[in-house]
Amino acid sequence: MGQNVLTTTLGKLIGWGRGNSVWPAQFGLACCAIEMIHTATASVDIARFGSEAMRASPRQADLMIVSGRVSQKMAPILRTIYDQMPEPKWVISMGACASTGGVFNNYALLQGVDKIVPVDVYVPGCPPRPEDLLNALMILQERIKAQGFSPRQ
Amino acid sequence: MSTTGSSVSTTTQGVTITKSGESGAFGGELLTVNFGPHHPSTHGVLRLIVDLDGEQIRRIKPVIGYLHTGIEKQMEALRWQQGVVVTDRHDYLSPPINNLAYALAVERLMGVEATPRAQVLRVIMSELTRLSSHLVWLGTSGIELGAMSMLMYCFRERETILNMNEEISGYRMHTSYIRPGGVMADATPRWLEMVDQFVRDMPGHIDEYESLLTMNPIFRSRTMEIGRLSADDAKVLGATGPMLRGSGVAWDLRKSMPYSGYENYDFEVATSDRCDCYGRYLVRIKEMREAVKIIGQALDKLPDGPVNIDDRKMLPPPREELETSMEAVIHHFKLFTEGYSVPAGDVYVAVESGRGENGCYVVSDGTHKPRRVKFRSASFVNLQALERMALNHMIADMVAIIGTADTVLGDVDR
Amino acid sequence: MIDEALVVESGISAGDPWLTVEAGAIRDALTGLKHDGYRLMCFMTCVDHLADSSKEWPARFELVYQLRNLESREEIRVRTFVDGETPRIDSVQDIFPPANWDEREVYDMFGVVFNDHPDLSRILMPDDWVGHPLRRDYPVGGDPVEFSAEHETWQTAPEKA
Repeated sequence: MGQNVLTTTLGKLIGWGRGNSVWPAQFGLACCAIEMIHTATASVDIARFGSEAMRASPRQADLMIVSGRVSQKMAPILRTIYDQMPEPKWVISMGACASTGGVFNNYALLQGVDKIVPVDVYVPGCPPRPEDLLNALMILQERIKAQGFSPRQ
Repeated sequence: MSTTGSSVSTTTQGVTITKSGESGAFGGELLTVNFGPHHPSTHGVLRLIVDLDGEQIRRIKPVIGYLHTGIEKQMEALRWQQGVVVTDRHDYLSPPINNLAYALAVERLMGVEATPRAQVLRVIMSELTRLSSHLVWLGTSGIELGAMSMLMYCFRERETILNMNEEISGYRMHTSYIRPGGVMADATPRWLEMVDQFVRDMPGHIDEYESLLTMNPIFRSRTMEIGRLSADDAKVLGATGPMLRGSGVAWDLRKSMPYSGYENYDFEVATSDRCDCYGRYLVRIKEMREAVKIIGQALDKLPDGPVNIDDRKMLPPPREELETSMEAVIHHFKLFTEGYSVPAGDVYVAVESGRGENGCYVVSDGTHKPRRVKFRSASFVNLQALERMALNHMIADMVAIIGTADTVLGDVDR
Repeated sequence: MIDEALVVESGISAGDPWLTVEAGAIRDALTGLKHDGYRLMCFMTCVDHLADSSKEWPARFELVYQLRNLESREEIRVRTFVDGETPRIDSVQDIFPPANWDEREVYDMFGVVFNDHPDLSRILMPDDWVGHPLRRDYPVGGDPVEFSAEHETWQTAPEKA
């Protein structure tokens, strides 16, 4: 058949497609958001991973990168945005505040965003380097490609 | 709907909104639009409830608190030296400047003054931070008004500054570099080389940014005569920083009430008489140039000597001494378990950050934890000027106006 | 004219001059100082002196107003003390507009009610929050941190590592 035909399973093809074009929803809350902007700029380019299109509307996004501290007032809004994203969707919790409450163990913050949304990858750091966020994205991409056809459980 | 003259209140998600039921110019009702908190252009989680008459803004009610972190309560639960880490994170675009306000306040209460070398290093870090904060402002304002390449260029320079931060303190952003008693660590030779190279390269980069925006007709038409704030209004509303200087008032804490040796440097206070968004843009560009000048002068002036004061009751002894001196071991133990106690009293220290007057009001009751730490936030006060600036503009100008106020929501909400 | 009759006490703390006035006289005191040239209010806040043994405090809540004179570069701190389950004091936001949001924050965090404030509502916490977080008897909150010092089981026992 030659070199112009390639055979694969449908699941692998869909997994490859979904994994390489993960569009994040902009959810920059605090300091980690600035490092997220660094990830999108030229020296640490997230566009080469297919994630350049950071959508403003959650309805067009697959990935929510919660970057920053989630306060009590913001928590219902975060949940609303998560609910508005269509399936399949993933969440990366970026930074210590989003993962566990970080430096701030007090009344005002949600001690970890996983109290209200299911999280796929946690990125430690305060704030994490842009390369850490890329690493998390790569881990997520491996997982998406492995899931293939079936929706996320 | 005929609700003219009556009000309707609803509480959703913890926020109460009261619709006024007023009517607009053509007899229709005012349209209430919710702007945020999840919005690409609000520079963070700011929510604005805007009453529109057609496209014109009639009333704005900012709703804040979406990033309230309880920083002031957290500081009361931490010891004096632990609090430095938390002070980084309220105005997250200028961490060393926040550290400086807190460190100066604690030093005033303790009755000590930092060493000359530490003061010069503090000035260099503050000016580098002012540059990196203005670069974020320029990049994000540019991209919101359509100039996408501004973001890429500004963040390229910001990477250089963050690399310098990492060289001297190990952290890119929240350095916790300036501490009561001195600074975290002395400058390395590589850091001095990096700063020197930066001072030579940066003016060329600022020329690049000006060549993209200053005479750009689209940028000019989106920022000239938009967001007017007269000098009297700015003074009455308590605005500080470029919001005040962009209206022609030459008030800069570094010149008017200098701290940390700023009286020894030769620089100009940037002002503009335009009172609009374009004027504030010119002020910030000039401030960036003056910051590079100050760093150059500081590098030449950097004296030799220790960076930390020699007070074992405040700062730990060097590790070599722990092997030979029992007293050093006791000091070390006391500092790392209970921490030092600050004499009772209160003090307010204000420093000039990229957005205006950031200050730290510290109240001590004589124990090893503060009684109250209040951060005077420039963005909190500047945000109150938003309504005055935006009235009767179009809703599309809202983006330029929020950008020009340069508020950091972490500072507003603490 | 600085209101000599209204000043209860004055002093200097770490280089900052301050004076104390009665809570009922706060508007007259601040208006007098504004006529003297102290036209900028840097900030206003509240300090809770519950269980504070550093000195004899007249009341539990101390309200602090910092004013600055832009021409002479001088600053003055005005203190006043209020007490009670719901402490009350007059609002000064018409004399100094920056006080508008500062007073809302003090109400939100400490529960001090400001008479004649146009919109006294919570500003940082959700509108339906119960309690005033910065009071000293309000707990810091958060989750307890689980330290592993008391763990009996190791993932790999030390002798096998």
